[in-house]
Amino acid sequence: MSKNEVSESEIVHISKMSDDELASFMKKNVISLKINEARSLPKKLGRDPTLTELHIFNIQWSEHSSYKSSKKILKQLPTTGKKVILGPKEDSGIVEFCTIDGEKYCIVVSHESHNHPSQVVPFEGAATGIGGDIRDVLCMGAHVIGVADPLRFGNPDGKNRNVVRYVANSVVEGIAGYGNPVGIPNLGGDVYFDESFDDNCLVNVVCIGMVKEKDILHSYAPEGAVGFDVIVVGKATDNSGFGGAAFASLILDEGEEQTNKGAVQVPDPFLKNVVIRATEKVFKELREKNIIAGFKDMGAGGIMCATSELGSSGGYGMDLDIDKIHVSMKNLPPYVIASGETQERFTWIVPPDFTPRLIQIYNEEFDLPNVAKGARASVIGKVTKEKQYRLTFKGKVVCNAPIDEVTEGVSYERECRAYENEFKEPALPEPNCKEILLKLLRQPHIASKERIFKHYDTEVQGNAVIRPGEADSGLIAPIRGKSFGIALATDCNPFISRVDPYWGAAHAVAESMRNVAAIGAIPVALTDCLNYGNPEKPEAFWEFVQGVKGVSDAARGIKEFETKEAVPVISGNVSFYNENKKGTSVSPSAIICCVGMMKDYSKAVTTAFKKEGSLVYLIGSRKDELGGSSYYRLFNEYGKDVPKLDFDKEARHIYSVIDIIDKNLALSCHDISDGGLAVALAEMAILGRTGVIIKADSKIRFDRFIFSETPGFIIEVEEKNKDAVEKILNEKRADFSTIGRTIADKFIIKNNDNDIINASIEEIEEPWRNGLVEALR
Amino acid sequence: MIRIAVILFPGINCEDETLDSVRSAGMDGRVVRWNEKPELLKHFDGYVIPGGWSYEDRIRAGCISARDPIMIEIKKQAEKGKPVLGICNGAQVLVESGLVPDVKGGIEMALAPNINPFISGYYVTWIYLKLSSLKKTAFTIGLDKDTVFRIPIAHGEGRFKTADRGLLDELKKNDQIILRYCDENGEIVYDFPVNPNGSMFNTAAVCNKNGNVMAMMPHPERANWLRQVPGSDLTKGEQKGPARFIFESMKKYIEGRK
Repeated sequence: MSKNEVSESEIVHISKMSDDELASFMKKNVISLKINEARSLPKKLGRDPTLTELHIFNIQWSEHSSYKSSKKILKQLPTTGKKVILGPKEDSGIVEFCTIDGEKYCIVVSHESHNHPSQVVPFEGAATGIGGDIRDVLCMGAHVIGVADPLRFGNPDGKNRNVVRYVANSVVEGIAGYGNPVGIPNLGGDVYFDESFDDNCLVNVVCIGMVKEKDILHSYAPEGAVGFDVIVVGKATDNSGFGGAAFASLILDEGEEQTNKGAVQVPDPFLKNVVIRATEKVFKELREKNIIAGFKDMGAGGIMCATSELGSSGGYGMDLDIDKIHVSMKNLPPYVIASGETQERFTWIVPPDFTPRLIQIYNEEFDLPNVAKGARASVIGKVTKEKQYRLTFKGKVVCNAPIDEVTEGVSYERECRAYENEFKEPALPEPNCKEILLKLLRQPHIASKERIFKHYDTEVQGNAVIRPGEADSGLIAPIRGKSFGIALATDCNPFISRVDPYWGAAHAVAESMRNVAAIGAIPVALTDCLNYGNPEKPEAFWEFVQGVKGVSDAARGIKEFETKEAVPVISGNVSFYNENKKGTSVSPSAIICCVGMMKDYSKAVTTAFKKEGSLVYLIGSRKDELGGSSYYRLFNEYGKDVPKLDFDKEARHIYSVIDIIDKNLALSCHDISDGGLAVALAEMAILGRTGVIIKADSKIRFDRFIFSETPGFIIEVEEKNKDAVEKILNEKRADFSTIGRTIADKFIIKNNDNDIINASIEEIEEPWRNGLVEALR
Repeated sequence: MIRIAVILFPGINCEDETLDSVRSAGMDGRVVRWNEKPELLKHFDGYVIPGGWSYEDRIRAGCISARDPIMIEIKKQAEKGKPVLGICNGAQVLVESGLVPDVKGGIEMALAPNINPFISGYYVTWIYLKLSSLKKTAFTIGLDKDTVFRIPIAHGEGRFKTADRGLLDELKKNDQIILRYCDENGEIVYDFPVNPNGSMFNTAAVCNKNGNVMAMMPHPERANWLRQVPGSDLTKGEQKGPARFIFESMKKYIEGRK
């Protein structure tokens, strides 16, 4: 059979079909290629496509797999730097962490979304979201050491409250139900409730791992791989998740709920736990024997996507026999086996003389076939020199396409149209500030997140130093006996982003950096998961373009202090088509994760006030800019004047805090965000069971002063360290002032000599402890 | 050097840090997979069954592992007086296998779903435990009765329950209830949150009659270094955590037998 030939009976003669016939044929076969996309295939293949090829291009050219709307825009992000080992090219990004005994240790990060599946089947959707992200990190050869979950749910008291509460609770159960058994500690995340997410929640997952630089595995077939075996490992392939990538690129339609549910994969954390342990044993033996292999997770597009990318990016072809893939269902068509998204699977490319040992580790030592029905490692084909992607099934060639065409993808110029939103600054009379503070503390996005975190295993692996809820970011010490720490924080305020998608995204970057800085860690890398509406709508696409620009400007603007380099965006994901039933986009959500690093975790500080009699410093003077504030949201307003960022000043503030903590001059630290200064102080007081008295002289109206969300920090400093702290702040030209002192057990805020808020710790603690519990009831 | 086998059933997820904790107490050992030759276990001086979800918690937590052929060998070694510690899921395995409490033999206890007014199902939190027994066990050597320490729990089914009504009295009489949930001052308070799961008599750990096999729900390997304890002085982070004594006691016990 010559180069492009396939079995005649497999060919679909699309060039003989009219547009209407082609459209109806594709609809019948659940193929969502555009007519012109399908019409371009005969030219690429030199003949009409087979049904399997149509399905393959359908998946490869979906938004989810091809980034066809986004890739041109994403090019502006800073992705390089002295510490970047691998930017956003493969399944995860990699950044240098530390060097011990001449060996370089690296942090591997992946950030994904699983929004649509989590709305349709929340438990499974959230669970498989974690599952996929763990695979992305593991497949770089890394030991997986943490996950974090940024979550966005609808209004728990709105008209869709029952669905919202069901989705929120089930998503949390799903995250716990998967992450806990696999044994990956949860390091944090954030949660917001906003009615724009009523019909379309956002479930993002960040996963991190650690690997020595010399042990990194890549998602391409290595040099000299012709004749290497292609091995599929894990769960037996079934029809679950078929069309998942294409599904992620559709708008949720209730009428098609059943089809949609079929597109969600079925999680098996138990099998994953065992597969991870077996895989780590394979890593160890490959290293001992100095064998270079290719390894890739199976996510969107299943075996087809994994094997074609492994081959294409190494400069090879693939010759695979679908009959050799272990399946758990009879009579599956070849394209379902090839591109279904059954969970808990990987692809290995290894030299044939290692194959028997690899098979033995999975199938005998870790006994996969008895751990889960039908699970195993199976050799399914070979890497070829000829750059064709060839699949045979029951003796017929069902796909034989140039491999680079399979992976090349398509690209679109989307129309982008700026719009003016209708938001205006509200005229609110001066309120009773104490009542406002108590209401803010009860807001579920501000209240204690214990109700969620205590469901997650934060302790497994034994690396915990600071857990979610104790500080603005989580911290682990992943190398036993060493002082190096990794911090992680995720952010994106949907209210500010709704008013201004550019500043919302820029704030997400700045806040995530402030959050790691607030414990004393240096921001070393960012990841972004860009959750937006339908890119075919010019206004929604504009929000996305603004968001990417905001991320890019902030990452470049808030420079690493010593090197003057941008903090690199090393991994990310784009999720489009997030909108409600009326076609309104969700609040623009450039969800950012910042990875921070500490040379010495013992210097880390938490949020809680530590003792009476300390000085309380405010860094970042308050401005009258309450657009998108939680204060306005209490009155169902958005406002217009969102806080702006002076990137250079932001960097000076962030790095002065890092410096102060590094010199052991701060007792506690907290960043100012939702609810402003008053809420930040309340959280420090509640967690520390220590009161505070604040006396401020404000140029702006006092309620606006204490609830403004201008970025900033609060630090608690012992009197004896006053001069040293102020020296650092002055050197970095920070805006700062001493605003009060910690006291025994009262929470007092004064405008000059007038008590504006005077409450007991118990009074402010009650709403803060119960807000989220009530919202999830 | 003393060698401890850390048993890996499929679904266990705390084996690495458990082995590291064993090592930090001056012993050595390795992780032994469920399907390795059971005879291998003879060459170890003691055994730890760590936490996780062995066999996916099918039927009941610990139920399938308790019937795994490797447990026959562990029982044999326990009868010789070697120490066996079951942590969390490992505790469930020991109870399901009848190794604990071994008063009349057979399965005498169960670990029932938590009763928790705050979160149903899996629950992670730090609690206080008190050493509540004068009994000489392999895991409490050198410790005074009434010693109070901090340690985390992480489970959905951790409520000790007896099959027979009379068994609790028997356990008390034999001094087999080793660790109990208490408040930070050592007071036994029967309500949540001091008792985090509704366990009878605030029981957190139970041993067999000989004191060489103990089933404990809290995780000592997660309170083995000071940095793991919330709010601790991080400058002493790498020093001994509040629950390390359990592993250190195991070492002393094994040395005493040699």
